[in-house]
Amino acid sequence: MKISLKWLQDFVDVSDFLTQPQVLADRLTQVGLEVESIHDLSRDLNQVVIGKIVELEKHPQSERLTVCKVDVAQGPLRQIVCGATNHRSGDFVVVALPGAVLPQNFAIKESKIREVESQGMLCSESELGLKETSEGILILPPQVTLGQSFATYAALDDVVFEINVTPNRADCLSHFGLAREVGCLLGRPVQKLSPKLKLSNRQIKDKLSLQVKAPKSCPRYAGRGVFGIKVGPSPQWLKQRLAAMDINSINNVVDVTNYVMMELGQPLHAFDLNFLSQGKIVVEAATANEEFISLDGSSLNLSETDLTIRDGHRAIALAGVVGGKNSGVQENTVQLFIESAHFVAEGVRRTARRLGVQTDSSYRFSRGTDPELVTLALNRACELIQQLAGGDISSDFYDEYPNKLPQSTINIYLSYVSERLGYRVLSEEFESWMNRLGCEVTVCERINDSNSTSSSLAKDVHYKICPPVYRWDLQHKSDLVEEFGRLKGYHEIPEHFPALQQMPTPHTTDFILENLLAEAVTAAGYRQAINYGFTSDSFQREILGEVQDFSSSGLTVSPSAVTLQNPMSEDLNVMRVSLLPGLVKNLLHNCRHNNEFGRLFEIGSVFKKSEDSSYTQNLRLGLIAWGHLTGLWTQNNKTYPLVFDLKEALSIVLNKLNLRNVLWQTPKVVPQLFHPTQTAALFCEGRQIGLVGSLHPEKAEQYKIRPGVALSEIDFASLMRGQPRLVKIQSHGKFPSVERDMTLLVPVELAMGEVLKELKKTAGTLLQRMDVVDLFTGEGVPSGFRAITCKYFLQDNQATLDETKILSIHNSLIQTLQTKFKIQLK
Amino acid sequence: MQNKLAQLTDLAIEEFKQAKGRRELYDIKVKYLGKQGQFSVIMKDMAQLPKEERPVFGKVVNEKKNLLEQFYSEQEAHLKKIELEQKISSERVDLTLPGPKRTTGGHHPIALVINDIVMILSRIGYSVRLGPQIEQDWYNFSALNIPADHPARDLQDTFYIDPSHVLRTHTSPIQIHTLENEKLPLRILAPGAVYRCDSDISHSPNFHQIEGMLVDKKVSMADLKGTIVFLLQNLFSTQIQVRFRPSYFPFTEPSAEFDCTCPLCKGKGCRMCKQTGWIEIGGCGLINPKVLEATKVDGEEWQGFAFGLGIERMAIIRYGIEDIRWFTENDVRFLEQFTS
Repeated sequence: MKISLKWLQDFVDVSDFLTQPQVLADRLTQVGLEVESIHDLSRDLNQVVIGKIVELEKHPQSERLTVCKVDVAQGPLRQIVCGATNHRSGDFVVVALPGAVLPQNFAIKESKIREVESQGMLCSESELGLKETSEGILILPPQVTLGQSFATYAALDDVVFEINVTPNRADCLSHFGLAREVGCLLGRPVQKLSPKLKLSNRQIKDKLSLQVKAPKSCPRYAGRGVFGIKVGPSPQWLKQRLAAMDINSINNVVDVTNYVMMELGQPLHAFDLNFLSQGKIVVEAATANEEFISLDGSSLNLSETDLTIRDGHRAIALAGVVGGKNSGVQENTVQLFIESAHFVAEGVRRTARRLGVQTDSSYRFSRGTDPELVTLALNRACELIQQLAGGDISSDFYDEYPNKLPQSTINIYLSYVSERLGYRVLSEEFESWMNRLGCEVTVCERINDSNSTSSSLAKDVHYKICPPVYRWDLQHKSDLVEEFGRLKGYHEIPEHFPALQQMPTPHTTDFILENLLAEAVTAAGYRQAINYGFTSDSFQREILGEVQDFSSSGLTVSPSAVTLQNPMSEDLNVMRVSLLPGLVKNLLHNCRHNNEFGRLFEIGSVFKKSEDSSYTQNLRLGLIAWGHLTGLWTQNNKTYPLVFDLKEALSIVLNKLNLRNVLWQTPKVVPQLFHPTQTAALFCEGRQIGLVGSLHPEKAEQYKIRPGVALSEIDFASLMRGQPRLVKIQSHGKFPSVERDMTLLVPVELAMGEVLKELKKTAGTLLQRMDVVDLFTGEGVPSGFRAITCKYFLQDNQATLDETKILSIHNSLIQTLQTKFKIQLK
Repeated sequence: MQNKLAQLTDLAIEEFKQAKGRRELYDIKVKYLGKQGQFSVIMKDMAQLPKEERPVFGKVVNEKKNLLEQFYSEQEAHLKKIELEQKISSERVDLTLPGPKRTTGGHHPIALVINDIVMILSRIGYSVRLGPQIEQDWYNFSALNIPADHPARDLQDTFYIDPSHVLRTHTSPIQIHTLENEKLPLRILAPGAVYRCDSDISHSPNFHQIEGMLVDKKVSMADLKGTIVFLLQNLFSTQIQVRFRPSYFPFTEPSAEFDCTCPLCKGKGCRMCKQTGWIEIGGCGLINPKVLEATKVDGEEWQGFAFGLGIERMAIIRYGIEDIRWFTENDVRFLEQFTS
């Protein structure tokens, strides 16, 4: 809301703040009316004064220029070079003196123009910021004061506040409303309007009947006729006040309705009576799918929930939102019906939002207007229209207000105010502020200490408080606590540390587990990423391919993503179903910036719609790795598929989570994002919980990704089942362990994991661990085979192992290799 | 025979002196002093001596053997020292060169800030609660005293999933879930991702908040202020001061926005605080009795306060982050700067 201090001055004395607006702004901000910006209109017009051209000569060097001697009342005549052609000797003009800084940072200095001294500038309206464009310089009428500041002359010596009015303070959406607040705050009297109408003997009720068929949506409807007006341009003062509000001037009638809205907060509408052919005004709901053409010509499709003003058969206005093209004021309008009504906030808001029509009127109605101001605003508008456009005001007027809106009464104890604010509130102070707010304060009971009779030392006071109708936001005693608290000042609130008397509860499990997992993954060398919960439907589909392919990997990916009804753009129109698209996006960003090495993980939610049409979110762990670790000591290493790097990181995570029963198997189906022969399914304690694999080479090519890429997604709930798990420490044994190795010839299509699983089973409880330590192909290895060396460690916790026992285990391993896999030792 | 012994000893010493390495030295020792060595041969020859001369000769042989043994040890120690010196000098490396590369992991700044706030407030009895991001209208709005068609809905631009489900616009719905399900009194913290459909240079459509709520028998604005002071002094520095400004949130009454003295310039005025010395931190207030009513909590018996703040904003203040897009680009050059 924009507030002009000079306009505010009509109602409450703020003249002392014109030169120091920041002081008033701070006071308002301190009571919850945040002043977001202060625009001092006169600052742009400093050193701009009214002058008179006393001499005018041609410039000696130029045909187009003139050299003027200008009288500005103070000091000697000023010599000013001017390029305009519309000025003559004797004209009164606007002079920008050296030191002035005109709008758009145009600084005026003494200078030489084609070798002639120029001590300022004669200004045009556009140079003064009054108009977009203008021809020639501004010539003022002769009745001006020489040397006067132009800002004062043009009433531009104003300061405009931009105030962020919170939704509960609809009463401050006008100059009168804010004046009330300022008056309360500063303890200054507030002027009330009392319009003086010269009534004619004409009757509006002869011309027009009124019927309010929807009193619930329209509790009050008033209107008056004005006859024989002349529509024309508004006077300068009105234009200027509206301009300060960023409202364009249209004509004297429409301008008055806007002016009164900004003055009193009551939106008004003026109908051209000649268009109300049926002689009726009916307030009722629209019919379904009714077409309505608004003032600006746009076509709106109405529904039965929209309230309209009708002239018998057609809608002539959308109640509280916008008028109709069929009945608005035009240049040749001669008689008016001025509407001033109270429409219920919820209804106006619903209609305005559904149709996407936001006006100054719908904004005010949506937040709640004051029903008691309806006739005052109506009469104020009629008064001004008569002043500016002439005409006769009807002696009668409509005012349908069958049920006065109820005023709330609040019971409150002074002790409640003290307890909630945390400091002792004095009864006089509380009563004083409530009175200044316009509340009716009734003392029901003063509860005194037994040994004191002084009212100021009353232990407690019981009040009944009736707030004014325009403060409909004050309904509960807690609202009055806030009112007192903010007016007295929030700086009065002391700092107190609340005592802890209950036993704290544990954090919710998912929070503990998310942190536990994040610790494990960071320990494996990964950096945490956070992506948006929503993404682009097309990108998500493109990355994931056939989502059913994921379902066999323990990740149920919803085939249709949860869709936003009102997305900001196509880039963010569905909820994510997997963490992988986000991580791939991060990869692409990093590759674009030549970050050719990265290790990222994300723990985040994916979303789906359940069969019972509720929505569920599941946590996932996603990982992405790109680029090999290279450097001085690794440069000559053979490069291995990067997916092993990621797999090892996951092994660290699984170890940290104390998960031992882990298997990596070839998945039944490999999703299209993954490399078909470099992808494994992760089994944990017998259940498949996710996938690990290289990026499909086709995708790498499509997105022009140069480094190797590995990806993984794992279901959080399956991974974290039973966490945090308590570690049970095993004895590490006091008898020596023995180490043996063997080299196996394993067919390339046989997964070594299967072989190891069987070998570990065969070795039994004496096996401590079995590692793969070498792998080679080529010379000495038959084609179609790999030579794989395993090293294993045996230890008996009861005794030193003897050679025969060791040999028998070794032989049983060989036996298993031969019978189960037909594998020979090398 | 004595002469022969003396010659042999001199010879051995000479050979010991010539030895180039410890192995060679040892071989020489074996040659003279081993079981089959020269000295053993001489000892055998001793049988030819008259019986009474034998003890004297034996004594001399032993003396010579001991002499050689000692010379051997000295010589061995000497060679060992030389070898070690050679080994050490041959193993010289340039430690200004880097070692094999390793990766270090780390948390996202959003997680760092959330975890710090949780850690601080856990000390005074707050525990974390989480909630769904796709939320029912009731939990996100109506129960929080934001009825349908109420102007307060304009405060938050909302993404809708369907007419009764939204992407939560704040973490406040977690307050409602908790009030519905848990015993009083309570102290909770609700961190999480929230969504608003506005986006510009300083607003992201998906960001993070954390809210704290305390419900007890008697709760005042002073309790709220004290708690916020505790949080911000622990999060930034003990010098921090806090001020309240009146504001409006439908779910609190009275409501306030809270600012703290700028942690960067200590209140002197800088770019971060736009020369005001104060930084806007978040919103707070006493829980509106209507919210308690909506969750069937007796508003006469129980009172509470709640406060909320934006995590991205805290991270920006704390780490001097210049662009909110950095939070979600996940550029490794950004993430690698966070050391904890």
